[in-house]
Amino acid sequence: MSRTWIDPLSGFEPEKAPREVATNDYLSPQTTWNETTRFKPKMYKVGRLNFFYKWPGHGGHLWSRTRYWPTRRRVLNIGGTYNQKTMRREKTILDKRPIWWTIAFAAFLLMPFAVPGDLWNTVMTAAAVFGIYAAVNLCWMLIIGTAGIYSLASYAVVGAAAYGATYIAILTGIPWWMLPLAGAAIGLVFGVIIALPAMRLDGFYYALLTLGVVELGRVYVIQSRVFGSATGGLYGAPSYLPDDLSQQDQLLYGYYASLLVMVAALFLYRFVNGKRLGRVLRMAPEKKEAFAEACGVDYRRARVSVFLLSSTAIGAIGGFYASHFGGASPNLFSFDTLLLALAMLVIGGIGRSEGAVAGTAIVVFIDRVLIDWGPLRFVLIGLIMLLVVLFLRDGLFGIKPQFRAWRDKKKSERRATRAEKGGEMLPEEATETENKDEIYYRRFDKMQRDFIKRLVTNEIIEEHRSRPLGQHSEALDRLLIYFRRQGQVDKYAILVTEEFKAYRIVALSGHRGTAPRVVEDKVYLNPNEAYHALFLRRVQDLLET
Amino acid sequence: MNWSFVIANAITLACIYGTLAIGISLTWSSLGLINMAYGFIFALSGYGAWLASQHIGPYTPVVMMAGILTGVLGGVFVNALAFIPIHDKPNYQLRGLIATLAISLVGNQVLLWSFGPRAKSLPQLFGAGSVNILGVVMTADKIGASISAVVLLTLVLMWMRSSRRGLEIRAMMMNPHAASIVGIGVRQTSFSVMALTGGLAGLASVLLAQTYYVAPFSGITPMVKGLSIALMGGLGSVPGAVIGAVILGTNEAFTSTLLGGQYVLITQFLLIILILLIRPRGIAGILDKAREA
Amino acid sequence: MTVQSERREVLHVDGLSAGWGPMRVIHDLDLNVYAGERVGLVGLNGHGKSTLFLAIAGLSGWQRGSILLDGHEVGRTRSQGPGRYTHLVVRHGLALMPQGDEIFNGLTVEEHLDSGAFTPRAWKERGERKKRILKIFPPLEALMKTPVGRLSGGERRMVSLGRGLMADASLFLVDEPSLGLAPKIGKSVIAALMAVELGGSAMVIAEQNVGLLEGRVDRMIGMHAGKLKGEASVASPLSSKGLGA
Repeated sequence: MSRTWIDPLSGFEPEKAPREVATNDYLSPQTTWNETTRFKPKMYKVGRLNFFYKWPGHGGHLWSRTRYWPTRRRVLNIGGTYNQKTMRREKTILDKRPIWWTIAFAAFLLMPFAVPGDLWNTVMTAAAVFGIYAAVNLCWMLIIGTAGIYSLASYAVVGAAAYGATYIAILTGIPWWMLPLAGAAIGLVFGVIIALPAMRLDGFYYALLTLGVVELGRVYVIQSRVFGSATGGLYGAPSYLPDDLSQQDQLLYGYYASLLVMVAALFLYRFVNGKRLGRVLRMAPEKKEAFAEACGVDYRRARVSVFLLSSTAIGAIGGFYASHFGGASPNLFSFDTLLLALAMLVIGGIGRSEGAVAGTAIVVFIDRVLIDWGPLRFVLIGLIMLLVVLFLRDGLFGIKPQFRAWRDKKKSERRATRAEKGGEMLPEEATETENKDEIYYRRFDKMQRDFIKRLVTNEIIEEHRSRPLGQHSEALDRLLIYFRRQGQVDKYAILVTEEFKAYRIVALSGHRGTAPRVVEDKVYLNPNEAYHALFLRRVQDLLET
Repeated sequence: MNWSFVIANAITLACIYGTLAIGISLTWSSLGLINMAYGFIFALSGYGAWLASQHIGPYTPVVMMAGILTGVLGGVFVNALAFIPIHDKPNYQLRGLIATLAISLVGNQVLLWSFGPRAKSLPQLFGAGSVNILGVVMTADKIGASISAVVLLTLVLMWMRSSRRGLEIRAMMMNPHAASIVGIGVRQTSFSVMALTGGLAGLASVLLAQTYYVAPFSGITPMVKGLSIALMGGLGSVPGAVIGAVILGTNEAFTSTLLGGQYVLITQFLLIILILLIRPRGIAGILDKAREA
Repeated sequence: MTVQSERREVLHVDGLSAGWGPMRVIHDLDLNVYAGERVGLVGLNGHGKSTLFLAIAGLSGWQRGSILLDGHEVGRTRSQGPGRYTHLVVRHGLALMPQGDEIFNGLTVEEHLDSGAFTPRAWKERGERKKRILKIFPPLEALMKTPVGRLSGGERRMVSLGRGLMADASLFLVDEPSLGLAPKIGKSVIAALMAVELGGSAMVIAEQNVGLLEGRVDRMIGMHAGKLKGEASVASPLSSKGLGA
């Protein structure tokens, strides 16, 4: 390990014996490089943009700036960046949802022409139900998702509005287009009644209370003679379809009409959730109301207005329901309806309009089209609901973010298990660094430090202690040159408090005008002692990196 | 107007509903789970008791034990399915609620499938005699139901107060995170809690079988009642649940006598809404701040 | 060093990394704690002291690396479910006194101390142990029947520490015992911790305030950016590890 080193400067004074110091064996500076290059680690794929299609072009073209009334949004949200490697302009579609919606609407419109003939009647009946339920669920999603009020009484409001509208229609004989208006009025009244406790109760208390309200409505409707306890529902509301249509046309027009209702509900959703009210409410999620209030957000008012707005809309849909089915049935109040509706919301994912629509489509398909399956279809719906709830954080449409979060977590954990790189950039970090020189500098620096660390031995330290200044052995020289080359920030220096008597070690701030800071209280009596103490500090810092 | 009948009814109903409400309340406060599958456990244990009475014999202890054991099994099943996989995941409370709802949806359909829609009736547990206490005529059935409910509930509550496992459950009610630091296994404890509350549901099911019979969907109404009592008493509070049960039992007995059976739910919910508007966390919700809802 | 390695290792942490989600807080950390030792773990806010403790208790977001507690392997490669195995770790003899107390608001002080003695053996001896705790924290005597929710911050800290000391532990981890307390009370709490007879167990105290621990613990370890930095024993405070002094 050790050998002796003869000071070459001794030759200037041939009369004296040459100065000999114990030092390290020669270690080639190439060693760490050789070792590093010999070691072939497994290479991992990094980066996350492999699957994004990059459109060429500058992106300054007008078509991407088209905004549609009445919002100031672009049709497609397109982001443009410069590719760092090729220095070409690239464009990415940041939000692909408009495309999916367009495809979905086209599919909805063309659906009646693609259904096989023997299933046509069943599917079209179910599709009309889908439109109405989707509309109700969208409004309900506003209450649960946007306003954060866990109301389970939405279908009870539909039922109340449908019953009320039918009742009024039977009594006064109003035309069909009055039904949604009457329903809206009833919905508003009901909304006010149900919203009152929501001002004071929170979360689950309110959910359970509304569950009670549903049960109340069911018992009342079943037992009330006015509302047809004997006939199993109240029928006799005017239909919006002309009487002289064939059955097929009736189904077709009914489907398109309910689709229209769904589109209206989508617009309502977009205008409430995506505009001021939605933003206000997103600032005040559950359990963070106090913070929102402190910011000056009147979340109570926003919640209640969303609630009343949705209730009115749900009431109007109830009126349409009465007109579509010619009346109302106590089924709307049953626990099963509530369960199915909840399944629709949960399967799609709470808080998303696409979730409400897709969830409704799935559940209505199983419930209304697969009628042959009998009770098995409820088991199927229940199982889907259970699986979604157990494994998905946010329903079907939450799979993507959930998967990404999971992948990122796993990635960072794997990164943590790989060997510590001692200051070298990790691959994930490296992909996100703008200045790629930095990566190579850090790699070089790390290798150099690995080499320098090996030079630190007791002999070297002893050599430095005996003579801090002057000619040194090759190993110690390398060490000192490395130390001298470091940046000014936090570099150690010696402060002379009194010449030849008192020295202290300070650390430079590295910034002009900022005084160095004292790092220890010890006072050294002569400069050599101070030099050596400083050297020891640097060595210690080096060994600890 | 027969006051003695009203009072006897009120007491019986209060005891049985109290059992249900305490089960729901315990589940909520210790596991943070609103067990909407409680009605399913209720119906399931009714069927368990019915099977036992059919195959073993219509003896009171057999039927009761069978009901309670089936309830315990049901509770453990629900726990394994709806609590264990998601209890440390985000948004757990809402997901747990929906998971139990899904279990009740599937479970009720399975019951309907395997036993058919026809209601089954259990044998009378406590004979058909009646006793006159202080001018109040009580049938043996009602006395038996009340006494067994009160005795079992008292036993459960005493056990909760004094034993190590009871301390475990109560500690978990207060602060689940700290409980695990102390050495309480959340998953193990959750099984004992759910077994306990499942057993309570089984007991209530056997006792209520004379009123509600055993049918696939017979659990929903008792569950809604139990929930509303637990809600009114303040979720997570045992004394609150007892007071709530007494109030609602009295209300039910009075309403059905004075106004008629169909108005029971209406007066009941008006009462609950009224109480919750005055005290948003229920009767006892203010007394102990066991868990931030 | 040679003297220490003859003693029994209560805690042996080897190559531990731990963190929360994408953030890695503890980097490849090795730590040994020997029986009968009081170790001070000092470091600034956010350098991983609490995460180290939580990782030992299995409460961190994820962790890798080996943790031997009294010879039992309690660390495992774990990527989710913080707290899922904590009770098992506690049964191997860990008493964690967490930051922010983590008390059960509704229980009384007495029930609280009982809840600390959760292992079956400790449960049998709990009367005796309570007396011992009351000797360490005399103010608790008068409060035995009071719900903990009504206590002041200092009293709560005593309850939290007392609960930890009730356990059958071979390793006590105390996280920031003086945090949020008036300096005087903080000092008395530290003094009480120093008064605990360790016997065959060991205690690690994490503190930001070095002054409170200086000269009172057997060993001080600094913690910086998720790694241990510099170690000083009370006998020779300035001798450093890497230089073989």
